[in-house]
Amino acid sequence: MVQLISMFGILVVLLRAAILCLQTVAAGGTVFLTVVARRKEERSDALLNSSWNLIRRSAVGLALAQLLFVVANSFVLVYSTGIPLAAVLGADFIWAAVLAMAGAVALACWPEAWRRTGNLLCIVPAAMMVAASVATSHAASRMEGRGLLVTLTSLHYIATASWLGGLPYLLLAAKRISNDQARKETLRRFSLLAQVSVAVLFLAGFGMSCVYVGSWDALYGTAYGVMLGAKISLSLVLLLLGAANYFIVRGISTDTGTPGTKSLLRFGEAEIGIGLSVILAATSMTSQPPSVDMAQDRVSVREIVERFAPRMPRLSSPGVKEISPTMDVLLKRAAAEGKAVPSTFVPGRTGFNTNTPADKAWSEYNHNCAGLVVFLMGILALLSRSRYFSWAKIWPLAFLLLALFLFFRADPESWPMGTNGFWESLAVADVLQHRAAVVLIVVFAIFQYRVETQRVKSAAAALVFPGVCAIGGLVLLTHTHALVNVKDELLVELSHTPLAVLGILAGWSRWLELRLPQENATRKYLAWVWPACFILVGLILMDYHEG
Amino acid sequence: MLNPRESVRTLLLFAAVAGSLLLLLGRAIDAHAVLKESRPAANSSVAGPDVPIMLRYNERINSKLSKLQLLNPDNSTTDLKIEEQTSADTLNAKATGLKPGAYRIRWQVLAPDGHITRGEVPFTVTGS
Repeated sequence: MVQLISMFGILVVLLRAAILCLQTVAAGGTVFLTVVARRKEERSDALLNSSWNLIRRSAVGLALAQLLFVVANSFVLVYSTGIPLAAVLGADFIWAAVLAMAGAVALACWPEAWRRTGNLLCIVPAAMMVAASVATSHAASRMEGRGLLVTLTSLHYIATASWLGGLPYLLLAAKRISNDQARKETLRRFSLLAQVSVAVLFLAGFGMSCVYVGSWDALYGTAYGVMLGAKISLSLVLLLLGAANYFIVRGISTDTGTPGTKSLLRFGEAEIGIGLSVILAATSMTSQPPSVDMAQDRVSVREIVERFAPRMPRLSSPGVKEISPTMDVLLKRAAAEGKAVPSTFVPGRTGFNTNTPADKAWSEYNHNCAGLVVFLMGILALLSRSRYFSWAKIWPLAFLLLALFLFFRADPESWPMGTNGFWESLAVADVLQHRAAVVLIVVFAIFQYRVETQRVKSAAAALVFPGVCAIGGLVLLTHTHALVNVKDELLVELSHTPLAVLGILAGWSRWLELRLPQENATRKYLAWVWPACFILVGLILMDYHEG
Repeated sequence: MLNPRESVRTLLLFAAVAGSLLLLLGRAIDAHAVLKESRPAANSSVAGPDVPIMLRYNERINSKLSKLQLLNPDNSTTDLKIEEQTSADTLNAKATGLKPGAYRIRWQVLAPDGHITRGEVPFTVTGS
């Protein structure tokens, strides 16, 4: 049951992420069609059809995600408390989900005639979805200042929907409005709405941070604060992209084929991608207690300085026999010897203490060596930008070193390092996952090498690498949240969160470098950004230590 | 250009509808609950055999869908009946007939947004 609740914690974060993203896109569409593309000449059939298609799909996705959340949560509650299902069905989170689902279904089935006229009523189901989200946020559950926090959270969500949620529709408008003047007006109007939304978003966010974080030391000393830092960093990058689009819109030509319009579309793609990352960071925050409630076990500046002080990477590792057996081995051994396994109740804790100095040294060596490889990869990628070092395009082959390292070090108890045989080890889920990852990394290394050396010329193939970077960063961002605010977990999170942010930045800067039109001068700067991100990731990993 | 009056009206409508629905939802919904205070306090010693229990959290919690258990010195468990809430962030119960020894209160609470949180409070019962 404890494992089930722990797994459920991850499922909740994923479902909440899906719910917030889909809600933002669906509600953003209704705001775009009622506030931005209001005039008849702007509401072309092509724009309305594609926009409502996106709204409908997001709404259906939202309803399904809410349904899954209700089913999974009710199951865990009934199973863990023995409370009858009928009693669970009266829980508040179910009423909120029902409200969101009703709004989503209403939007998905919105009458064709009302879609054409831009009926303001479509704001109502969108508001139902937003209200359900606010009702399940920290704001609604606080004992003090609830009214103010609910207002700020509502404004934050509405502004997010108006700006980030409106972006996909902006791209559609840029492509689907055939009247040049109408398109230009629509883009300018969205630019204005985005500016207002950004101001509201930041002001409301600042207000909430004052209450939930409360002090500077909580910003770096708690899991909630660290995630807020990641959210702010990514939001600042979003602002940069928004500013780029603002200047493009100001001087935009009315022709869709111009570099200006193409750049707008490409920057918009990156804005959507990074915007979704920000929403995911926000989701991770909703599943953690606010910093202000975590007065104990905060990390101090002195501890951070001690932990992150530069030092030489660890280049020697303890032997396999020196490190603790894995949990799987310990459980099997205890069962074979007929010993009782220490019971655990609190998710995130285990019955065995397996973090000995040798275990830490093993982990540090793994991180530091991986850092060396990533650092090398970044340097080679940087050199490959210059025509004098075209041989450096072999940089993706460094992934093979990582795969080799993972193969030998991820499962020390298994073949070829440990006593578990090859076939025997494949029966363990973790080992199987690691072995599958090794195969994937090898395939990816060869694939990306062929892309870099122009053996594969497809434009879509080139986008696989930035996509993998951005998704990898996202996974790391949502993965690194501590269930309990223990200092050690936090210090690990403090090193992993910048890695996640750098991964996302590397992905989207490479994406833009590939997608922006040749005429856009930004490309040549972006070509240096993503290798620099790799170098930084390598340096952080090389400096990683656990004690 | 963006018509400020129309746009503001639409966004206000959006905010008003969202706000009204929130009010209609009545009792609100919580996020992750954190234990702020407990009686008995963690690792404290109390006199038996009857021990009143109070757990206070950082946010509102749904007492009807929460659970309290006592882990006895012999590793058996006893379900504790949660009393009517006097404050939305607090759970109260009473453990009776406790013999001297080491006990743990196991709590599982539901923050009404659906988040389930668990924890333990260890304490020792001395003779009365």
